[in-house]
Amino acid sequence: MKDAAKLIPPLDRRRFLEMAGRGIGASALVALLPGCGSGGGGSSGGGLGGTGVPLASLEVQALRRTSFGVSPDSLAAINALGVPNYLEQQLNYQAIDDSAIEAAVASTFPLASQTPAQLYPGFPDNIGDIVEDLVGATLYRAFFSPRQLYEVMVEFWSNHFSIHLVNGIIPALKPYDDFAVIRPNAMGKFRDLLQASAKSPAMLYYLDNFVNFVGEPQENYARELLELHTLGVDGGYTEDDVKEVARCFTGWTINQNTGEFLFVPFLHDNGAKTVLGTLIPVGGGVTDGETVLDLLASHPSTANFIATKLCRRFLSDDPPAGVIAAVATTFNLTDGDVVEMLRTLFASGEFQDIQDQKLARPMEFIGGLVRALNVNQTLPPDDGRLYFALLNLLSQVPFYWIPPNGYPDVAPYWGSTSGFLNRWRIALALNAPVIQEYFPVEHTVAGATNLAETVDLAAAAVLYRELSVADRTTIIDWLVTELGVTAQQPLDQATVNALAPFVVAMLVSSVYFQLR
Amino acid sequence: MTANPPKLRAAGGPGLPDVLVCVFQRGAADGMNSIIPYGDGDYYNLRPDIGILPPNQGGALDLDGFFGLHPAAAELLPPYQMGRLAAVHATGVPHNTRSHFDAQALVESGAADKQYLGTGWIGRHLAATESPSDRPFRAVAISGAVPMSLVGADDPLAVDSLEDFGIGDVGGTSYQDTLDTLYTGDLPFSGVAQAALTAMDELAASDPTQYPPENGADYPQSQLGSGLLQAAQLIKADLGVEVVCVDVSGWDHHENLPTVMPGSLADLAAALNAFHTDLGATMDHVTLAVMTEFGRRAAENGSNGTDHGTGGCAWLLGGGVIGAQVAGTWPGLDAGSLFQGEDLAITTDLRDVLVQLLERRLYSQNAATLFPGFTPGVVPGLFLNKS
Repeated sequence: MKDAAKLIPPLDRRRFLEMAGRGIGASALVALLPGCGSGGGGSSGGGLGGTGVPLASLEVQALRRTSFGVSPDSLAAINALGVPNYLEQQLNYQAIDDSAIEAAVASTFPLASQTPAQLYPGFPDNIGDIVEDLVGATLYRAFFSPRQLYEVMVEFWSNHFSIHLVNGIIPALKPYDDFAVIRPNAMGKFRDLLQASAKSPAMLYYLDNFVNFVGEPQENYARELLELHTLGVDGGYTEDDVKEVARCFTGWTINQNTGEFLFVPFLHDNGAKTVLGTLIPVGGGVTDGETVLDLLASHPSTANFIATKLCRRFLSDDPPAGVIAAVATTFNLTDGDVVEMLRTLFASGEFQDIQDQKLARPMEFIGGLVRALNVNQTLPPDDGRLYFALLNLLSQVPFYWIPPNGYPDVAPYWGSTSGFLNRWRIALALNAPVIQEYFPVEHTVAGATNLAETVDLAAAAVLYRELSVADRTTIIDWLVTELGVTAQQPLDQATVNALAPFVVAMLVSSVYFQLR
Repeated sequence: MTANPPKLRAAGGPGLPDVLVCVFQRGAADGMNSIIPYGDGDYYNLRPDIGILPPNQGGALDLDGFFGLHPAAAELLPPYQMGRLAAVHATGVPHNTRSHFDAQALVESGAADKQYLGTGWIGRHLAATESPSDRPFRAVAISGAVPMSLVGADDPLAVDSLEDFGIGDVGGTSYQDTLDTLYTGDLPFSGVAQAALTAMDELAASDPTQYPPENGADYPQSQLGSGLLQAAQLIKADLGVEVVCVDVSGWDHHENLPTVMPGSLADLAAALNAFHTDLGATMDHVTLAVMTEFGRRAAENGSNGTDHGTGGCAWLLGGGVIGAQVAGTWPGLDAGSLFQGEDLAITTDLRDVLVQLLERRLYSQNAATLFPGFTPGVVPGLFLNKS
């Protein structure tokens, strides 16, 4: 009985291993590859809703919330530094060397760093290439950058100032919005970010302010500026404020030759306006809009609105009022300094106490897979097109959200039957050999000599937390029944490797992997 | 594949509630450029560049001597003339917000004046009625996510594609059974995971995608066309479906309305006409309602579009609809009649329409109580009483 493979009854083993490459793995997902075809959280006080499931370590919890997924490297770093020092290092992001990532982005996704003037000549024939480069660069940085918290904030603000990419001339304008508006200000002052966004040609186009002229007002941007970017819908503005703000932004348009911001004085309404009770006198020109941005950025409703969204991102769908108030206070005291707000949030008791409350969105689900499994953190040979396809299946491709409110960040939206089903399909696709080039799984079970060790090693490598005794038993019993061996019977490495994709798929499909 | 012989359905049959198909036009459809009040001269003063000309100048398709259909929506004429399609004009929920997201949440809640309810009007209706069957398909959204209108029902399903709703062949049932066990118990998301697993089994057993469009129905290749085709397939597959929600986005026409809106209208008309044609006699037991979050400003804006407004229009389709009418009181478009001096006023509270729908077609008792804080008003007859 030395040869473990012989212990497995041939029929059962064959049937089990036949799963590989079948179903979704062999059809739909593989077809997405280039050249391969056509085309509410639980209550606090315990892990997984107080069910007695072992909690993840504080280090793992911190990583899950401040990155796109736990990787072996990031776990080693936070274990060595401790949570506070690790987060401080991440906040001081410019000291983290990301030159290798940026060099790879520059060479692989060149259009992501081009200006409207550079992209105009090839437009619209280059739309596909621009989309591929901008989304590719975004995913590459999110999944592989050592500046994980910074990339989380880039995603946060890209969503806060959401712009639908495939819309009119926006493909030519959005790369500039990404590299000149969002990224330089993602860890800066809110007021700077707000003004950069207000003058961003992509935003001017998306929310129609480029055709907002004196005598012919267009209030789309004005309304969303108040409702979505600053005060929030109940932030205390009136319909008259919307109209007056629209007047203030008349003449803020786009230079048709360069695709840059342009203020056209003769298209501006130079009359006096009143916004939120403040008189904006006649003759202000471009400063009218800037005054509005000052009023909004210093308004307590804005502090509360931004603080709420930050707490929702890092804590829970319905965050406690106390920590929101603390972050809002920091906003008011620091002129909306993002790093200082995050520092307040991370130092709060809630950041330690609130656990297992967030559903990972597709970005963190795929990011979590990539970061756990692709341990070399290398961009796959398809330049990330598979990631694009997977996020498309899960409905969270960056910049693909159509209305201006950005992708939701609450469980009721993402935790639908379709949402879960598509995660399970992707997990099973790990069985397909072609997918394993992108998501290698064998290393997760290296050294396992029986079923129990296979499950334990895979769980440690993928979930970074212990399974409950009951769940561990369920998974081991499934394998025992399928293979006809006991949990402790020796298996050779080839058998263990053949099992790995199924074990990892089951773990990735479980609720443990769905939490952020 | 041959279709299964029709069986008595849990909903949608004689003596049973109609199947409700709820279509939501996301983005705030412009009612006044969908159903043209060409008999109101102020319309052309307010919309000199984007207004649709009257029928006698080759513009709108006359409906009743006052209103005309946008010509791009011509495919709606047959069901209208058959008496199975009605429109309600100057309708909406008086929520007094012009935020898309707020207004959608409020309309789907059935709530006025920012009374957030946290549940949807359909969800509350389903929670208040016993299912005629014990099937898991009472409420389905053809979507990746559950819309607010269904919140409150037990585990409403979000099915983005009937064809792909499965995890594939994994060599037997043990994989799925194990997953089922892992999601059993008091865990976050166990309810939705269990619902997905059950629905997967039921869809595999009944395979609704085997039902092709019938009677020459031709669905457009679009979000709405695909959504309504799948709604029809769910109804034909006898899965106990009572409500299907389908979204159609892209109605936020702030600029170049004459260029962009006809495509949206043509899609709406083609999809509704195809659904009506496809289901044939089954439409006697199906009611489809189209609604949006609010109408648009009465006057055009500076970029040949319209900004956010108030009163809009709704569409009702089915064998139980008293069709061939544009119902509701026209409030007029003179300065004194416009809501807040600039919007088409609401003269028919959309909730009155929904209450009549629920009571006359879905056997709801006291449907008005499903809308907290709502005082029912008088509405014209829009639905036949289901026997």
